[in-house]
Amino acid sequence: MNSLNINSLKKYARMLSAFFKASLVADLEFRANFATRIITDCFWYAAQIVSFETIFRHTDKIGDWNLAQTRVFLGMLFIVDAFYMIFFSDNLDKISERVRKGELDLLLTKPLNSQFMLSCQRINTAIIGNLILGILWLMFSLAALPDFNWLRLLWLALLIPAGLLSLYSIRFAFSSTALIFTRSDNLQYLWFQIYRLGMRPDSIYVPWLKFVILTFLPVAVVASVPTRALLDPPDLWLFAWVSVWTFALLYFSHRYWNYCLKFYSSASS
Amino acid sequence: MTDAVLQPVTTALIELTLWTAIFATAKTNMIGGFGKESYLAYVLWTAFVGRIAANWMYEFKMADEIESGSINSILVRPTSFYGSYLSQFLGYKFIVSGFSLVFPLLASYWFHLPLISLRILPALALIVYYLILMHTISFVIATLAFHLTRIHSITVAKNLALWLVTGELIPLDLFPEGIRQVVLWLPFSSGVYIPVAYLTGRISEDLLYRGFLSTTLGIIFFGAVGAMMWRWGLTKYTGTGA
Repeated sequence: MNSLNINSLKKYARMLSAFFKASLVADLEFRANFATRIITDCFWYAAQIVSFETIFRHTDKIGDWNLAQTRVFLGMLFIVDAFYMIFFSDNLDKISERVRKGELDLLLTKPLNSQFMLSCQRINTAIIGNLILGILWLMFSLAALPDFNWLRLLWLALLIPAGLLSLYSIRFAFSSTALIFTRSDNLQYLWFQIYRLGMRPDSIYVPWLKFVILTFLPVAVVASVPTRALLDPPDLWLFAWVSVWTFALLYFSHRYWNYCLKFYSSASS
Repeated sequence: MTDAVLQPVTTALIELTLWTAIFATAKTNMIGGFGKESYLAYVLWTAFVGRIAANWMYEFKMADEIESGSINSILVRPTSFYGSYLSQFLGYKFIVSGFSLVFPLLASYWFHLPLISLRILPALALIVYYLILMHTISFVIATLAFHLTRIHSITVAKNLALWLVTGELIPLDLFPEGIRQVVLWLPFSSGVYIPVAYLTGRISEDLLYRGFLSTTLGIIFFGAVGAMMWRWGLTKYTGTGA
């Protein structure tokens, strides 16, 4: 059983590697677009940074974080968002279109998990540049903190994957709905608005909303929780909750995908 | 519905929460010379006006027409590519605005946020005028598709840059004075900051007039660039198909 699982994992790792190579070749074919995608995200980073830097010229704190702490928050946001953009964003954005065009037929007949294929087939290699920028920004922000305990970075090995997978699971569930309704563009917009809640420090929200974004729609897990792991003494209950809940969300997203597949009718003759 | 209501309502709620939190923790009742109600009114209107002033969909459509070659059907007709898309763009924006602006209007009255009713029409006029500039810039970007195969990222980059310099992200009053003055002389502040700040009583008529002037200069400048790019692009373009 164990060897079967390990072989299975190896197979998926090989597939991921093949996807990466194919995506890199495809991305480099349109070099201007490749370069512009990196620059585009730099604009987004700059917008977020300028926004908070400007506000902090006029106030000492937002919620319970000062400027130095908010910079760390932005670093975490950039990193998790970059991972999400690299692995999942392009794929999940296209699910609705692929369902409409009947492109799932070929994918469903392959001897691989269809959720995996649909979620990871296209890897956005241009965003790796942005990931490096995000890491540099986080390091710069942490270095500016007085007495920062660098060992706390180890928490990120747990919390970044948790944030990423939570984000993925909810987004995938939203995208899967395309199988039921065929067009689910408005749901995708709704998802993006929910995600925006996670782009602000969780301390600005009223308690009930904070509860919602840590539980049912855990977008706070993306950046706010990892930032707290770096800035505050470890809240082990919170980290345990985030870990368990991430697995639960991943499981639910898979079950929901299987449920939605029952509604799929092939478009090809 | 998504464009007109859902997105701006959510944006407004998030930004209202942020600014409420900023004022709750700030040691003063005034930030950058304005009070809490003024900021809440600003972010409320900005969420809606910002959606109206932006151009995503029609810029993508114009670029796609050039990329895919479907522009042939327009080139063989006695019609203008710029003009036909301008009419579609403005028509769509009029409909969106009609639905959309009811929300901040009602919310302003309901929550007693600063709003000068007599200024609504001049502010709307500037937004409509700015839409012509926006379309002209979109036209310039779309003409890049004659030379580059994929240009969607340029549209995203442009809209993100505008997000900052239009005042949609944060009020321009909070920028350092030197930067603020430079940004105010650019035509982009006429898309969000000037009309919203004028509506909510943050600025006087002078800046509104300056907005009309800078937008006019912007239309002339980008119009000239667009005409040149269009002619250059057509010399390079090869239309195929039956």
